[in-house]
Amino acid sequence: MSAHVLPPAPPVQRPRVLVVGSAFASAAVFMVFIGLIGIYLTARADVIGSGSAWLPKGSTIPLQQPNTMFITLLMSAVTLQWAVSAIAKNDRVNAYLALGLTLMLGLATIVMTTYLWHLMKLDVASGIQGVLIYTITGAHLVMLVLAMVFVALMALRALGGQFTALQHDGLTAAAVFWYAMVAVYALIWISIYVTK
Amino acid sequence: MALTDTRPDTGTDPSVAPSVVPSPLTIFGTGDHKAIGIAYVLAGAVFGMAGLIAAALASLHQIGSRSFLSASVGDQLSQVSGIGLILLVIVPMFLGLGTYLVPLQVGASTVAFPRAAAAAMWTWLLSSGVFIVSICIDGGFDGGREKSVSLTLLALGGLIVALLLGTVCVLTTAITLRTPGMTLDRVPMFTFSMLVGGSIWLLTLPVMLANLLLIWSDHRYGGAQSFASIGVQFGQVGWITHEPQVYAFLVPGLGIVADVVATLTGARLAHRNVLLVAVGAFGVLSVGAWAQPAIYPSFDEDFLWQAMGIVMLVPLLLLLGGIATALRSGKPSLKSPLGLAVVSVVLTALAVVAGALLVITPLELRSTSMFANGQYLLIIAAALAAVAAGLGYWGPKMTGGQSADGLGKLNVLVLLGGGVLGGVSLCVVGFATRFSGLSGSHDTLLVVSAIGAVLLALGIVLAILGLASGTRKGAPEAGDDPWGSGQTLEWACPSPPPTGNFGDLAVVRSPEPLLDEEASA
Repeated sequence: MSAHVLPPAPPVQRPRVLVVGSAFASAAVFMVFIGLIGIYLTARADVIGSGSAWLPKGSTIPLQQPNTMFITLLMSAVTLQWAVSAIAKNDRVNAYLALGLTLMLGLATIVMTTYLWHLMKLDVASGIQGVLIYTITGAHLVMLVLAMVFVALMALRALGGQFTALQHDGLTAAAVFWYAMVAVYALIWISIYVTK
Repeated sequence: MALTDTRPDTGTDPSVAPSVVPSPLTIFGTGDHKAIGIAYVLAGAVFGMAGLIAAALASLHQIGSRSFLSASVGDQLSQVSGIGLILLVIVPMFLGLGTYLVPLQVGASTVAFPRAAAAAMWTWLLSSGVFIVSICIDGGFDGGREKSVSLTLLALGGLIVALLLGTVCVLTTAITLRTPGMTLDRVPMFTFSMLVGGSIWLLTLPVMLANLLLIWSDHRYGGAQSFASIGVQFGQVGWITHEPQVYAFLVPGLGIVADVVATLTGARLAHRNVLLVAVGAFGVLSVGAWAQPAIYPSFDEDFLWQAMGIVMLVPLLLLLGGIATALRSGKPSLKSPLGLAVVSVVLTALAVVAGALLVITPLELRSTSMFANGQYLLIIAAALAAVAAGLGYWGPKMTGGQSADGLGKLNVLVLLGGGVLGGVSLCVVGFATRFSGLSGSHDTLLVVSAIGAVLLALGIVLAILGLASGTRKGAPEAGDDPWGSGQTLEWACPSPPPTGNFGDLAVVRSPEPLLDEEASA
C-alpha cells in the first residue's frame, strides 16, 4: 500500500502591496484626466461645430514647449526605469544618479509648464477654454508634483539603504505612478496641444 | 484539508492577542481595520437617518404649490439628499463592512495600508461634516453665498478622495493579502463583490471629481460663466444618482446577500460561478460616467444607454436563479439576516425592472424626474437592506455577542415597507404622465413616499440597535461561528477578532474552507 503524501505547501509569495496599491491609485488619477479630457473634447467640438475658433482671439498654444515637455517626460520615464533596474542589481551609484536625473527632469517640466502658461496669453476667465485648459494642465502639474514627492521619498529610502535587489517595491510603486503621469501627459499633449 | 500546510509567520496567536472591541477611544488614532470599519458604519448610519429625513421633506415639498419649504431649500434638500445618500451613507457603509471583513475573509492579519485606511476614514468624516455645514450656511449647488459654495465643492472633493483611498486599501487587501490557496475565484462572495464594486467606484468616482474640479475652477477663477453658472452645477454631478451609474453603489450588497444565503441555508452555493458572473456583469453594466446629461444631453437616446438598462435584467435573473437554487437546495434557517437579504433581493429586482422600464422611450417615463427618483430610492432601500443583513449576519463577529433577532425580524418588515412605499409610489407618480387617472393621486403618493423614506430611516436605527444588542449584558457569547454553518474564513477566528485576526491558517482548497475542514474531520 502506498503511503499518502500530502501536497507540499505552495511557496509563500511576497505580497507586492505597495505596487498594487500604487497601480490602483494611478488608475483612479488616470480616470480623473479621462473625465476632464472627455469634457474638453466635447466642449471643443461644440464650439468648433458652431463655426467659431476654439481658442479666444489673442490666445495661442505654441507647440515647441509642449513637445519639449513631452520629450523631457519620456526621458524621465527612461531614467526612472534605469533607477529601478539599477537597484534591482544592487548598483546603488547608478540608482542614485538616475533618481536625481528623474527629479531634475520633473522640475524642468514644471518650469516649462509655467512658461507655457505665460506664452499662451489665455485668461482663466476668458471663457470655457480658459477654465478647461488651466484645470487640466494644472491638475497634471499637481500629479507631477505628487509623483516627484513619491520618487523623492523613495530616493531617500534608497539612500537610507532600505531597498535591496530583492526588495525594492517602494521604488517600483513610485515608478508605476510616474509612468501613469507620463501617460496622462501624452493624452494632454495630443488632445490639447497638438489638436486644437 | 492538510492542516500541516500552514503559512509561516502569519498573524498572531489568538489565544495570546487581546480582542479588540471598537469603542470611541479605540477608534480614535487607531489603524485597526475593525475599528475603522465600525466607525464608517456608525457615522454612515447617522448621516443616513438625516439624509432620509431630508429626502422625505424633499418629497413633501413637491406637493401642491410647493409651498411646504422655500424653493431654494426644497431644491437644496433634493440635491443634497440625492448625492449625500450615496457619498455619506451607502458607499461608506459598504466600505466600512469591506474594511472590517475583507481582511478576515481573505485570511489577512490586517488591511493593506492601515494608516491610509484610517486617514481615509477621518478625511471622509471631516469632509462629511464640512459638507453638511456648508449646506447649512447657504452653500450647496447654486447656493447664495460664494464662499459656502466653494466649501461645498471642496468637501465633495475631499469625500471622493477619501472614499477612493479607502477603496484602494480594501482592493489591495483582496488582491495581495489573500491566504495561500485562495485564488480569486475562491474569495468569498462579499469580497468578490467589493472587488467588482470597488473597481467600478475607482473608475467612475474620479470622473465626478473631474466635474467638481471644473465647477470649482470656474467658480473661483473663471467668473462662473460656464461650469459654475447658476442652474447647471448639479446637472454635472447628478449623474451618479441616475441609471446606470447608481447600480454601481449596490454591487457589494449582492455579495452580502450571497454570503448570508450560503451560510443560513447551510449548503455550498450550487451555482457559485454563475453568481460570480452575475456580480461581475452587474458591475460592468453600471459604468455610467459617460452618461452625463450636462455634457451629453441626448444620452438617453443612445442605444448603449437603453441597451444597458434592458441587459441589466440578465445579471438580475442569474442572481435570482442562484439565490433561489440555494434556498431550495439548502435548509434555510429563518433568521433575520436571511429575511433582510431576501428583502434586498426583492428591492433590487424592483429597481432593475424600473430601470428597464425607464429606458423604454414610448413609455415617456423620462418626461419628469419622478420615476427616476423612485428607482433611485428603491436602490437606496436595497442597499440599506443589504447593509442591515450584513450587520445582522456579521454583528456577532463584531461584538462578540449574539444579536437580538427580534429587532432584525421587525426590520425586515420596516425596510421592505420603506423601500416599497418610498420607491414604488414615486414610480407610480412617474406613470401619471401616461395615465391621467393617476394624476389625482399625485399628492397622496408623495406623502406615501415620504412615509417610506422615514421608514427607511427607522430601518437604519433598528439595524444599529440590532448590532448594539450584541454588547448588552447577558447576551449569549457568539463563539467563533455563531451560525454553526459558517463557510468562509472570518468564522475561523474568535469573535470579536483579536489583533492580527488569525493564527496559522491552512491552505485554502475551495471557496468554502470551513466546510472542507468539517468534511475532513
